Amino acid sequence: MKAKEKLEKLGKDMVVQIHAGEGPTFETTLRTKGNTIYDEGLGCLRTGDKKELRKYLSVAQARTFMQTVAIAAKSKTFLEQDLHTSIRGLFYQLKFSLGEEMDEDLFTEQSESNALIEDLEVALKLKREDLNLTTDRKGFVAGGMTIRDRFGGEETLIDLSKQGRSGWSIPSDVDNGMDIESLDAEWVLVVEKDALWQRLNEDKFWKKENCLLVTPKGQSTRGTRRLLRKLADRKLPVYCLMDCDAWGWYIYWTIKTGSMNLAYLGRDFAVPEAKFIGVTMSDIEEFKFLDKLTIRAKEVDIKRAEEMLGYPWINRSKDWVHELKLVLKTKKKIEQDALQGERLTFVGEYIKKKIEGKEWLK
Amino acid sequence: MDEFKDFKEHSVAEFFKKNRQMLGFSGKIRSLTMIVHEFVTNSLDACEEAGILPEISVEINELGKDHYQVTVKDNGPGIPKTHIGKALGQMLAGTKFHRYIQQRGQQGIGASACTMFSYITTGQPTKAVTCHNGKKLTARISMDFKKNKPVVEVIEEQDTEESGLTVISEYKDVRYERSNYGVFEYLRRTALTNPNAIISLLEPNSEKTLFPRSIEENPKRPFEIRPHPLGITTHDILEFAKHSTETRLSSFLQNAFSRVSAGKVSELRDLAPEVNFRKKPGDLTWAEAEKIVEAFGKVKWIAPATDSLVPIGQQQIEASFRNIFNPDVLVVTERSPKVYRGGIPFVIETAIAYGGGVSDANKKGELMRFANKVPLLFDAGGCAITETIRSIDWKRYNIRNFEDEPIAVLVNVVSVHVPYTSAGKQAIANEEDLMAEIKFAVMEASRGIQKFISGKRKANEIATKKKVVSRYIEQLSADLASLTGEKKEKLSKKLSSIVEDKYVTMKDDEPETTERIEEEKDESEGEA
Repeated sequence: MKAKEKLEKLGKDMVVQIHAGEGPTFETTLRTKGNTIYDEGLGCLRTGDKKELRKYLSVAQARTFMQTVAIAAKSKTFLEQDLHTSIRGLFYQLKFSLGEEMDEDLFTEQSESNALIEDLEVALKLKREDLNLTTDRKGFVAGGMTIRDRFGGEETLIDLSKQGRSGWSIPSDVDNGMDIESLDAEWVLVVEKDALWQRLNEDKFWKKENCLLVTPKGQSTRGTRRLLRKLADRKLPVYCLMDCDAWGWYIYWTIKTGSMNLAYLGRDFAVPEAKFIGVTMSDIEEFKFLDKLTIRAKEVDIKRAEEMLGYPWINRSKDWVHELKLVLKTKKKIEQDALQGERLTFVGEYIKKKIEGKEWLK
Repeated sequence: MDEFKDFKEHSVAEFFKKNRQMLGFSGKIRSLTMIVHEFVTNSLDACEEAGILPEISVEINELGKDHYQVTVKDNGPGIPKTHIGKALGQMLAGTKFHRYIQQRGQQGIGASACTMFSYITTGQPTKAVTCHNGKKLTARISMDFKKNKPVVEVIEEQDTEESGLTVISEYKDVRYERSNYGVFEYLRRTALTNPNAIISLLEPNSEKTLFPRSIEENPKRPFEIRPHPLGITTHDILEFAKHSTETRLSSFLQNAFSRVSAGKVSELRDLAPEVNFRKKPGDLTWAEAEKIVEAFGKVKWIAPATDSLVPIGQQQIEASFRNIFNPDVLVVTERSPKVYRGGIPFVIETAIAYGGGVSDANKKGELMRFANKVPLLFDAGGCAITETIRSIDWKRYNIRNFEDEPIAVLVNVVSVHVPYTSAGKQAIANEEDLMAEIKFAVMEASRGIQKFISGKRKANEIATKKKVVSRYIEQLSADLASLTGEKKEKLSKKLSSIVEDKYVTMKDDEPETTERIEEEKDESEGEA
């Protein structure tokens, strides 16, 4: 069922209830920590089976219920007009007074509408991108892939091997109005930082190694994660190179298993196949020059490491527990940029060595 | 302290001049209230005694700073020319002082005190217009302080078909204010316990208030009974003795008090051997009177007759409360007489009014104290009624915070002998039996409103819920219409009736369930 039909069905079900003399309701999945589980079979986080009935005839819920339906109705018009907007744009579309005598706005804060968009995604089992709602873009790609992009009434073929020094900016939605026209790459390399991506791009690493070079520029956007999922679906191995600190590692884990926050998106936004090739604490022992390039781990790194040790899908891996404990013990970290410390081209050698030797954390 | 001796040795008026606060003339607002009280109670008593339904009008004019003119007019029988001087210009000359009867006037010192107060503060005589037996007399009354004698200056005499008394007097060192201690509140409460009267008030700012009549019938007159020894104070004995025509103390005791037989007198003789029971009652000293009161306390008496008590009555209180407050709920208790101090009969009347006019008048946690229908406005802190009300656990009766709820509690202590804490007669002493009965009575009334309040609270909650849920019907209908193509008006009409049904018929046993909607969220990541 298409998004527009799902929205209409949501409305129709409520209208049926109203005609039957009942207060309108809709069912959604509980998005709480308690209802977030790690799915062994899927290899990613997902929401559990606990359902929740949202009711209009409830003092606590009446306003949010009305707001959710307002978002649904507004989204439907976006789809009908084939226009996109950001979740902030949606907020402004819905930030109007409920009536002169009411002294109340439909929405007063964007945080209100953001949460209800997630509600709607869960309830209708669709993604906000399906509702023509865009999110911020951040990631870049370079490599042997051609994209067919239908947008703003035009259709364009984009060759990602011909994007020069800047690369192709990954849009917020890679599913709607967009197809992979052709793919000429054997694997995917994800590097955390844009600086390293530019370094490898200049080396034409992706051309030499026949891979797609991707950077999420820090934490991955929904668009980046979706693209990686689609590439993994095409059986391309995904290797990740992050900073050697808990923060960088968690970026990898978000790509791999999804985040707690967006667990409801499930496997569509997770790449359980993704492999972590570095940088690891153990690398410091293996590559002596790195020892001099470590820096002190920050408070947030330590805290994040402790948290990660508490996640069951992470702490069952001996390799990861070892690495995290080393962070806590040494309180050191290394940035991926340090791999250029000896010579600029060492990064490429390091990556090849890791992949060829299957030296990734299990 | 021998007040009575002072009364004899100096002129009463001289005494008053020096001790006016003792008689209630302390404080500017209180003094004015006391003045109005004197005239209004006199008028009520006079009307009722003559079998006339009272119509009393009170007018207060501001003449200057702390300077007011007070006019009190009634439709009573008026006062004959021969008595007008005594009634308004001679201390302790009224008829009440020597009668033992459950009567309002017991609280005050009388209208003459007002005449004196007026004269002392302004130098002006009190003007009286009395219509009695077809004669209308207009006179100025002042007093000779040294001799405690009235001075009457007749201005005009003529024939009339009217009857009634109008007293016009002015005072300095008093103040009008619409506070809990002021004339307005005094009259409002007086109206509450005198449903047979019409009372009107014209305030200095020309605002006129009418407290209407609720019952077209005067109350039963209390009949006079001789006082029971157990309710007697030293001062009382001396007062009675002074006016006695008996030649011996022993016969005075038997005739002046009820239940005192010759046998009881001989018991008293044994208990107070130092008292000469053959002496003239008028020669009784304070010390001897004290001994007699002491002895009274030791003798076993037959309880006094209770039929001398005249409560306001349940129906009467109900009628006046509805008229004056129009509360949402009203419970008035009707209880049988009890005794305190081993034998003094009394009746407690209570009423609790909640919501409605009580809310409108912005009254919260209001306690209205009365003794024999007379409002007690002052000295609330030291009063047994106040203390009893404070001791009640109001939460048990669904009153979360007494001070903060639209609730008015009336307590009327009816007795021929009300145990006041002081000569000011504005607070009731902490008599154990009295307090217990007050508490039971108030608790009984509280139980009556308890159910109502919980019902009302529930109704309020439902109304609030309904309001919240109704609020978004228009917007929700509009959006559902845009999602489905259904008519918006149709949806909002239907939704409104669903809301109407749900929040009207919701029963107590159908609690509304509210699901959790906000849950703890994991810390946010980089997703935009």
